[in-house]
Amino acid sequence: MHAPHSYKPTDAAGKLAKGFLRNPLTPILGIFLLIIGYIALMLMPREENPQMVVSGSTVIVALPGATASEVENVIVKPLERKLKEIKGIEHIYGMAMDNVAVINAAFYIGEAKEDSNLKIYDKIMQNMSILPKGAMQPIIKPLDIDVDIPIVSVAFYSNNPKMDPTVLYDHVKEIQHHINGLPNVAVTDIKGAKKHQYNVLVDMNRLSGYNLSLGQIVMATQSLAYNVPEIKGKTQDNKIVMIGVRNAIESVEDVGNIIVAQYGGSAIYLRDVATITSGSDIQNFKSALVSAKEDQTFSPLKDQITLTVSKLQGTNAVNIADAVKEELEKYKEQMKAEGINYVITRNDGERANEAVNELVFHLLLSIVIIAILLIFVLGWRESLIVTFTVPAILAITLFIAYLTGQTVNRITLFAFLLSLGLLVDAAIIVIENIHRHFHAPDAHERDADELMIEATDEIGAPTNIATLAIILTMVPMAFVGQMMGQFMKPIPANVPVALIASLFVAYIFTPYLAVRLLKKPAPHGESH
Amino acid sequence: MYKKFENYLVDTLNSPAKKKKILWATLFAFIFAVALIPTKLVLAKMLPGKNNDTYTVYLDLANGSSIEQTRHVSECVVNVLQKEPEALDTEVFLGTGSPLDFAGLIKGSHFKNSENVAEVVVNLTKKHHRDEPSYMMVQRLRPVIQKECGNIYPQTNIKFIEPPAGPPTMAAIVAEVYGNKAEGIRHLAERVEGVFKKTEGLVDIDIMQDEIYDKFEVRVNTDKISKSGLDIKHVNDILYLAFEGMGVAVKNSQNATEQIPIFLTLTPEGKKFSSRDKNAIDIKLASLTLLNQMGMMVPITEIVEIVAVKSNPMIMSKDLHQMTNVLAETDMVSQVYPLMAARNTILDTFGDEYEITKTGLFNLQLVDKKTKEIYDLKWDGEMKVTLDTFRDLGGAFIAALVLIFLLMVVYYKSFVLSGIVLLGSFLSIIGVITGHGIVDIFTVDTFFLTATSLIGFIALIGISSRNSLLLIDFTKSLMVDKGMHKTEAIAYATATRAKPIFLTAAAIILASTLLASDAVFGGLGVSLIFGTIAAVIASLLVVPVLIHNSDLERHFNFHERKAVSIMEP
Repeated sequence: MHAPHSYKPTDAAGKLAKGFLRNPLTPILGIFLLIIGYIALMLMPREENPQMVVSGSTVIVALPGATASEVENVIVKPLERKLKEIKGIEHIYGMAMDNVAVINAAFYIGEAKEDSNLKIYDKIMQNMSILPKGAMQPIIKPLDIDVDIPIVSVAFYSNNPKMDPTVLYDHVKEIQHHINGLPNVAVTDIKGAKKHQYNVLVDMNRLSGYNLSLGQIVMATQSLAYNVPEIKGKTQDNKIVMIGVRNAIESVEDVGNIIVAQYGGSAIYLRDVATITSGSDIQNFKSALVSAKEDQTFSPLKDQITLTVSKLQGTNAVNIADAVKEELEKYKEQMKAEGINYVITRNDGERANEAVNELVFHLLLSIVIIAILLIFVLGWRESLIVTFTVPAILAITLFIAYLTGQTVNRITLFAFLLSLGLLVDAAIIVIENIHRHFHAPDAHERDADELMIEATDEIGAPTNIATLAIILTMVPMAFVGQMMGQFMKPIPANVPVALIASLFVAYIFTPYLAVRLLKKPAPHGESH
Repeated sequence: MYKKFENYLVDTLNSPAKKKKILWATLFAFIFAVALIPTKLVLAKMLPGKNNDTYTVYLDLANGSSIEQTRHVSECVVNVLQKEPEALDTEVFLGTGSPLDFAGLIKGSHFKNSENVAEVVVNLTKKHHRDEPSYMMVQRLRPVIQKECGNIYPQTNIKFIEPPAGPPTMAAIVAEVYGNKAEGIRHLAERVEGVFKKTEGLVDIDIMQDEIYDKFEVRVNTDKISKSGLDIKHVNDILYLAFEGMGVAVKNSQNATEQIPIFLTLTPEGKKFSSRDKNAIDIKLASLTLLNQMGMMVPITEIVEIVAVKSNPMIMSKDLHQMTNVLAETDMVSQVYPLMAARNTILDTFGDEYEITKTGLFNLQLVDKKTKEIYDLKWDGEMKVTLDTFRDLGGAFIAALVLIFLLMVVYYKSFVLSGIVLLGSFLSIIGVITGHGIVDIFTVDTFFLTATSLIGFIALIGISSRNSLLLIDFTKSLMVDKGMHKTEAIAYATATRAKPIFLTAAAIILASTLLASDAVFGGLGVSLIFGTIAAVIASLLVVPVLIHNSDLERHFNFHERKAVSIMEP
């Protein structure tokens, strides 16, 4: 095998092919790429939907006793005008109701969350003076998608209908604290809770019978339920003596024993005019019910308490959901003994994992289908080469996505599926050209290495330009605004990377593998 | 086989009549494909429905309804849902929103805090084990639930909220009615609601405004109150204490997780009014007494007067303009067409009260004929997002075309050749639109042309321009390096490049078949499959004809020389 003239590559493609064709580091590079890709896939947080930067705040100002139109004029309109001064706000929604004003400021999608929250807070605090007299301190609630939207919700319910709802609440509250302590859990919240409360239900008839007013009862109760700090005194030899004044109310019976009035020497106790119970907050109209399928039939609606768990931004929903599940298992038996059951009513971690696994499966299936196609058209060796390039390209893309702080979600994987058809192209074009050169009449006279480099170099320029063309079509997509733009951002972020990676992999690995796997046909054994 | 194709091409390129035939056929196919959209044979929508494992039912009773009434309706809804074999569990959240989700965040679920609202969450079996997609189930159950539970109390609104396939919006269709007079807005909004109710394809229609209901106001007689040595705060406190109750003190507890409030109010029986009228309130209040500074008991009715009034509805504004939203969801159809239908109805029928002028793309301005007040009707919600997205994607598409054109000009230094590459890639639209038409025929529910179809189309421009590019490049090298003549060079280049073009096309088509089955990205898959087929035909037939028609010799600085034999296999 002698080379009459050495081929001089003109394009980057040929130079890359030449540089790596006989380089011992090439296979190591290949294996390294696959490993970092796999590590990136395992490390990247998994989510169902891509992350969106949505900023906004809600300002709530109460003005007791004002009608809706008063609230509109003295709170909503002036505050709206002030918020209008902030740059980056897209819409301001004002709601004026009797007694309360709610103003919602929504920033353009993509405005930084912390900055936006600060801007609103700053603007409101600067303008406290424009609030009318009697208005309460404004409440500013920033919107935080990651923290506000729970990824797991669990409904706890009791099988014993006689169980005090506050007991259930106490149990859930305890579990809440444990779950909040799990890594990367941001907020845990309880819905449908019934809290402890001593209820004093005054009988109006008995009240008028004793000729008492409600005001007297309030004053009597307040006079006995007062908490004070302990008093510190000293003895003669300077030792400290602590004196604590106990709150007179220790139990629900104490409440009943409050004397509300005296009539001719006989005392009237609170229990004489009211029914006093230790129960739950009766004024809270909010409640939650659950009905789960047990043995093919639905249980009747039962009171429940829902515990919701949300995660910190950029953390793995799958891991957190699993950790919560595991934590709950720990208490399962203990709760069962007390008659408390639970059902997981939302598990976004599981949903994300399913979506991701399904798409990864689709991705693999597509690769197999393409490999089979290539076996028929090009031959199994060629097919094997092209099939190898796909995981290498995906590995590079995944690793870069990981470095840029992206997550694995539905849209990222769709970007991969979309680019799959495109990224085998470079390798197919290279292998096809190698194939063509190998079967050329003068092929048997030439050195295989030379042929590889020439075949790669020949299609280098048009392939580069063509790939650049596809990349250029993806770039403008990055400038699509609004939520939709944010939503599909993984496509313009990943497809160009995959395409560039496909060029490098095609130029480096295709000739490398081809020269080792492919065999030149016998000089006259032409198939055509 | 490739030889045959090469001969066919040489034959075609040498006959101007055949070339013309190909170009006319292409033009006809293009017009046919584009015509599918205005004739509504292919329908456009931002994103199609997604098959979910859960959905939520929002209940909204008339303002002033009690929690017991809300519970009654919720139980009714749960009863219907539980008859579904695919339902796993249902949760009812009374007086508050369910745990927040993506859709609820935009729809204001986390602000819910009144007795007349509830949310019912239903979890279904995993979508892989279920034949019926969740959106079909919602479509089927919606009329059932609304018929059974929507009429228990008047003005009950029941909405079905599915997790959106893409970014969430307030509703599929949001009509914003702007104006300066609350009554005028209310009247116009109700008329718009009436139109929506009659428009086919619109469901879950709701006006975002409080119903006005009867309430009573306690008016204090200033003379009497100062004479009796009492004050207004005292009156208010006692009334609040009696009927709402108040935590008057707290008890710190070592056992409980929180402080225990001592809550004081009247007994439930004591609170109940015999009926909702002024008399009943008078009687009830008469038994409430106040202790004045002189230690005398004064019945509350002595110093106040009860007056029946109407409630003050909430006043909403957006960007400092007063307005009200009229919301509607679409029932498995694109929101574009019902919106246009509703808009046409408004244009046709509102002329009796308003002078209507069109503003912007679809918005309307209505001027009251009698009062000359100006009202604006603007469309928001999914419609606006759709318009914005299609506009942005259209912009991205044009930008992509321009970028590719510039790239080609830089590469070929010829406007004509760059134009051909661009034209060739544009032809994939034939495949994209007809592909959607074909798939629509074979699928049960409507297959929409969606935003993802557009993304596919944009990607296709790149793919088909690559085909043309490889073709032209090879032709160039054949002509310049090997000295072949134009016709032969084009035919030979096309025939030789046909194999990689077919191969890469097959790879894209195969990779996209799995996409095509996805609810959301089906449009992308279908675009790529059929667009690639069109692109292959365009690159192998139309582009050779076009470049043959251009003056290639000049573009490539081609000089006649003795042809080198390239008779290869």
